[in-house]
Amino acid sequence: MLPIEIRFPSDPSVLEPVQQIIEAVGRSADVEEDELSSLSVAVVELVKNAMEHGNGNDPDKMVTVSFSIFPNRIRFLIDDEGTWEPEKALGFNPGEGDELLSTRGRGILISRNLAKWVEFGLTPEGKTRVTLIWPIA
Amino acid sequence: MKIKEEMKGDVVVIGLSGKVIGGPELVEVKDAFQKAVDQGHSKVLLDLGKVSWMDSSGLGVIVSGHTTLSRAGGALKILNATKKIHELFIITKLITIFDTYTDEQEALKSFGD
Repeated sequence: MLPIEIRFPSDPSVLEPVQQIIEAVGRSADVEEDELSSLSVAVVELVKNAMEHGNGNDPDKMVTVSFSIFPNRIRFLIDDEGTWEPEKALGFNPGEGDELLSTRGRGILISRNLAKWVEFGLTPEGKTRVTLIWPIA
Repeated sequence: MKIKEEMKGDVVVIGLSGKVIGGPELVEVKDAFQKAVDQGHSKVLLDLGKVSWMDSSGLGVIVSGHTTLSRAGGALKILNATKKIHELFIITKLITIFDTYTDEQEALKSFGD
């Protein structure tokens, strides 16, 4: 299937509609009902990171999520307008030691655990692109 | 997201419902923890049983509440975390920080231990 793309500003007010769209995508690809919220959490976490670290929460800058449904998986690409590396942006591991009580920085950890396959890279234009693969049983 | 607060003995029970997805509404939750401390109550039970969706933003504000209440000599405990929310507590290892309960009476009693 050719990818379908949604594009939206870096504004928290779009997060709930985006969450609903991601679950609709999952539903259309026969992701089990019980797994839909895990899927949407995994993607929304990456969308929030794109807004913050890639676009500096500037509502004039856009985040693009494209998805392709294959027989055994859904592939999501989350693009922003910046160039950032997750480890440098975060600067710490929120799941360890003194950082356990940090009030932020858990998004990538959660996304990687829920989706199992999350990879950071660049678009052909050199902007940050995160690829998330969600297997379909 | 909606917030409901009520006193049960000397424990403030804060119930959240709906989607906890971030944005300005999370400030309301943070403020609810601070308000409890300002009113002299440092024992808070956070009921998540009616939360249909939550991500790291929600965890962040819960950790913030833990810090606020611990500094005041009290505690924040969790009631009725759904299976999905419990999974987030495990992934982030916050399960090692928070006491979680599925029975309100047991949870309320635990503050007196």
